[in-house]
Formats: sequence, C-alpha cells, structure tokens
Amino acid sequence: MKRIGVMLAASFLWATTVLADPPPGYPFVGYDAGLAAARASGKPIFLYFGRYGCAWCDHTNKQTFSDASLKKLYTKNYVLVYVDAESGKRLTLPSGERITEAELGVRLQAFATPLFVYLTPQGDKIVQIPGFKTVQDFREYDRYVRGGHYKQKSLLEFLGDKP
Amino acid sequence: MRAAALLLALLAWPAQAAWEWSAPLAVNSVQGAAIFPHLESANRRGVAVSGDTVAVVWEDNRDGSPHCYLATKPAAAAAFQPEIRLSQGDCYEPVVAALGDGRFVAAWEEAGRAHARVLPGGAALKLSDTEAAQVTLAVAGERMYAAWAEQAGRFRRIVVARLALEGDALSVKTRRPVEAKKPADEQGWPALAAKKDGSVTVAWEDRRDRHTVPMVSYSRDGRRFARPARLTDQASGSMDGLGAGTGAMRPTLAAWGEKGIAAAWLDKRDFLSGYDVYAALDGGTRRFGKNIRVQDSFGDNMVQWHATVVGDAGGRLLALWDDPRDGTPDVWLSEWDGKAFGDDLAVPAASGPGAQSDPVATLDAAGSLHVVWLDRDEAAGTGIRYARAVWR
Repeated sequence: MKRIGVMLAASFLWATTVLADPPPGYPFVGYDAGLAAARASGKPIFLYFGRYGCAWCDHTNKQTFSDASLKKLYTKNYVLVYVDAESGKRLTLPSGERITEAELGVRLQAFATPLFVYLTPQGDKIVQIPGFKTVQDFREYDRYVRGGHYKQKSLLEFLGDKP
Repeated sequence: MRAAALLLALLAWPAQAAWEWSAPLAVNSVQGAAIFPHLESANRRGVAVSGDTVAVVWEDNRDGSPHCYLATKPAAAAAFQPEIRLSQGDCYEPVVAALGDGRFVAAWEEAGRAHARVLPGGAALKLSDTEAAQVTLAVAGERMYAAWAEQAGRFRRIVVARLALEGDALSVKTRRPVEAKKPADEQGWPALAAKKDGSVTVAWEDRRDRHTVPMVSYSRDGRRFARPARLTDQASGSMDGLGAGTGAMRPTLAAWGEKGIAAAWLDKRDFLSGYDVYAALDGGTRRFGKNIRVQDSFGDNMVQWHATVVGDAGGRLLALWDDPRDGTPDVWLSEWDGKAFGDDLAVPAASGPGAQSDPVATLDAAGSLHVVWLDRDEAAGTGIRYARAVWR
C-alpha cells in the first residue's frame, strides 16, 4: 500500500514538473467561468494562453509564477483564466459566438505560447503579450491595466514613460 | 519553323495550365451579425460531391443554439437550395461524405453522442452509446467508416466503426477502439481515409507523450488495428528540462492515387512563427515517409490555420489552409508535384480585403476542385462561400 502511495506521489510530481499547464497553486478557471466571474466581481481577466507540453510555459511557471508576492497580487486582483492552445474544449466569446479553445488562438493570431492576455471584466481585450516574462514585467503590466493607463496609451508608451 | 513553333507551344502548355475558378456562390441562406457559422470538423470534411450534386454541412446558432445544417446544389446550378437542419439538439462539427448517385452520409455530434444519417431520406442513427465528439466519415466504394473520440474513463479515445447501408437505413456493423487499453491521456480529432479494398487509415491527436502528437494506425477491415505510429518525425522530449515537446494538431487524411494516403496537419516545430502546415505521404506501404513542409517561403514567418488535404484517384493531391500573409486571412492552396508542394496560390474569391478562412474542400471524380470557406463580415454576418475550380 505504502509502495503504491509512493508511486502515485512520484507520478504526480512527474506530472506537475513536466506538464506545462497553469502554474500550481493559482485558482485558474476555464474561459466561460472566468468571464462570468469577472462580470460579477468587476475584476479584470488575466488569460494565460498556454500549450500542453510547452517549454516556455513551463519556464515561466517555474521562474516567474513561483514568486509568492506575484501570486498574491494576481490572485487578489484578477480573475485567472487558462486556455489550452490545442484544445477542442468549447467557450463562448462576449459576442455570443461559440468557438473552441484552439480557435481562440486563431482570433488572437497567437504565434507563440505562452501568450498573456488582459481583458476587461466584460471580456474586451486590453493588451496581449507573448513569451517569457519576469516577475517585474508582470508587475508593470498590472500597473498598466489596473491603473487604467491603457485608456490613454499603448503598453509600449506606458513602459517608455518609466523614469 | 511551324514545327518549332508547335514544339514551343507544346512545351509551354503544361506551364500555362492553371485552376480556372467559377464565381463564388453563397451557401448559407441566413446571415446576421449575431449568427456564427462554423466549418470546423474532424478531418475538415464539410463538402462532398456525389454524382452531380454538391453538399455542404456546417453549424450555426440562428435558432438560438448550435445546430447542424446541410445545403445541396446540382453541380451546374447557379445557387444552393435552402438548407435543411440535421439536428434536434445542440449540434457540433458536422461532416459529409459522398455515397454516389446524388446520395450522401452526414455525421455530427448531438447531445454528446455521435450521429449519422443518409441523405436525402434516411433517419438519424446514434453511433455511440457513451459520450462522444469529433465524428468523421470516410467512404470508398461499398465500404463506409466513421470515427470519433469517445470517453473511456478519464480521457477520450479513438473509436472506428464500420457502417452498413441498406436502402436508406444505416447500421453499425463493427465498432472498435483503435487501442483496447484505456488511454493514458487525451485523444481526439480523428481523420479517416478508406480504400476500396476495405482498408482504413485513421489519424488523430494524441497526448500520451505529454504534448500533442498526431498519430496514425491502419486496419485491413476495421476490426484489428496496427500499433499506432507517430505522423510527426519530431521526437518528444523536454528542452533543457522544460516542457515535453513541440505541438502539432488537427491531422487530416486523404486517399490519394491508387494506393496512397496523404496526411497534413498544423505543426509548431518552429515555435516562434506559429503553426506551419506539414504533410507526410504513404505510397501504399502503410508507412508514412518523412515530414514535408507544405507552405512556401512567403508563408514561413506567418501562422497557418485550418489545414486540410484532399486527393483523388488520379493522383492529384492538394493542401489548403488560411494565413494572413497579405494582411488579412486568405485561403491558400498548394499542390504536390511529385517531389514537393508547389508555390502557394491564393484562392481568388477567398482572398483579398476582408477575412476569408476555414477552408474545406474535395476533388470530384472528374478532378474538379470544390472549395468552401467562411467570409467574415462583422456587420453583415459571416457568409459561407463556395467555388469550383477546373484545371485547364
């Protein structure tokens, strides 16, 4: 029995280290549930567009999302949504159109994963950012989004204004 | 002098041959800003030609929930007849295949099960007893197969059924999972190619290696399947201890030539430029050769979507997809010349301003190419368009 328990634990550890799913410990939900939660709470959406087995997603999870303060910041202030770039799972866009998670990548013209998309509570896109990013990067994006700066300037303009 | 001119003309003739396209036709009779038609399906089998009739299937939400529709037209007619609804409940990802003499078989997912029906006439048959999705079809002569992704414990696995037809009545003759054991991870989006000798090739997306890999198997009769092999020649494995491998998805298959089977899929091995279209060919040995990049260099730095492959008994083989290399999504095609896929050609009516995407296609018995795509217009609603091309 103990041996089976050890094997199960080992397989769980292997799965969590190899798979490039959402970072562990974060309350990521599916697109439809996230959109409903954002509308109800008024929080913006942080959408993680990842791919099963994606090395750069894995790297971002380990290097960046492992930061406890970032986890606290994003868990508190965003509705966290995870979308699988190759999945046939269905979701419904704010327009009412039903598409698959993979098709969302077409609409976003996603060319690489991970892709991070910030959305208003109504599901309108604020900005999308591809590739590996640091803890500091995500803090800056948070200031840009929750500070409402996106209403006046692009992300690049905002980042260029930094002292 | 005259002989030399004739010789030059003969030499020049093959180079001048090209696809000659008909004017595009509207397929869906109901459009609106809040109506969203989709041509997505397993193996992208949304158009078929049977005798002198063209049939197109799709899903849209005109009735407030997703339903599947079929529209037909005589090949020479200038318009499609008003569509009929195939489904009673929520319906997704319909496919259609030709039975000959103007008859078709359609299949779709409805209420979490795979269904099929012969048209015209015929009644819907539930193909699966357990939860199933992403059904597809292949017909060769008297032999008819369906495949779908069926829940088997925690994950879905691929099931292939041999269908029988008596009059307008369909029945399931055999129904077998490609692998008897429970899946270790998700499987989905099956593609089928059948041959007149009764054999069937099935490809699908498979996550057993902890990333998405197109795999393939073969059966002489739909009862026993060969051990699955990878379609992609990219090895699985982490990169510096990270991840499990690059992604490849939505395999499609087509019977091609007397014995051949062609496969095409979306492949992210060059992970900085999105998915590319890759293909592999089986000349009749039941082994797919090395992977071949389909799109030309002008499409290299562009993400490709919605790839499909079509072939005919005469040996013609084409791949189609959409990409936005000219600024907005257009439908592109590339033809196999025996050694490589040729230059990418934009489908004339499915390119230019606006977004044209999601191609489905078939080659008829005379070698004509039938292409259907989505023409997106946010104000007027998305149209489904059809055009036929003849090689001249």
